[in-house]
Amino acid sequence: MKNNIRVERAIKNITQAELAEQVDVSRQTINSIESNKYVPSALLAMKIARVFNKPVETIFMLEESDDGIKKR
Amino acid sequence: MRTNYLFSYKSRFIGLGLILLHIPVRLFWEMAYPGLGSHGSPMSPAGSTLFTNEHLFNIVSTILVLVGLFLIAFSKEKIEDEQISQLRLDSLRWAIYLNYLILLCSLIFTTGIDLFDILRLNIWVPLVFFIIRFRWVIFRLNRSLKTDK
Repeated sequence: MKNNIRVERAIKNITQAELAEQVDVSRQTINSIESNKYVPSALLAMKIARVFNKPVETIFMLEESDDGIKKR
Repeated sequence: MRTNYLFSYKSRFIGLGLILLHIPVRLFWEMAYPGLGSHGSPMSPAGSTLFTNEHLFNIVSTILVLVGLFLIAFSKEKIEDEQISQLRLDSLRWAIYLNYLILLCSLIFTTGIDLFDILRLNIWVPLVFFIIRFRWVIFRLNRSLKTDK
């Protein structure tokens, strides 16, 4: 899963630490998410989206490698 | 927030204290009663060795170390978030793998009374390995934070 938290943070002009505090996680976690080392839970993804006042899909998107959705 | 059955952040230091406390106690005992420190055979022919001084001391020192290890292993991080939970689970899985590997190997390659040593090894291997692995991934996490800055 990709995300553009780094871009959104730049737009909103907040640091990793500030974002981390607002969504109640550590700065390490925000950093891991930004560098695509950790995929957040749905709950955390929605909290982050709320901070930026945007729908989740505009901040987190699926990648090719995530393409495991079975079509019926 | 759901409960996660962890000790508070501060209990880690209590745990460390218990383990550090155990070292001088153990050393003192070994010096005061040389030769007694090692476990005798549990099936000693000279009658029951249950609840002798040596046995009691061994129980107490083992409990001290175990409680210490438990407190260190299962105390909360400063910010206990979902990534930490995942790392915790990962480390726990590795610790269980390693423990059973050692257990299986030692069951295959030992017999009889050596089994007693296996039990003693089994008591602390999962906890110690878990602590080492967990601390290591957290150390790496913090390091990546510094290099990214």
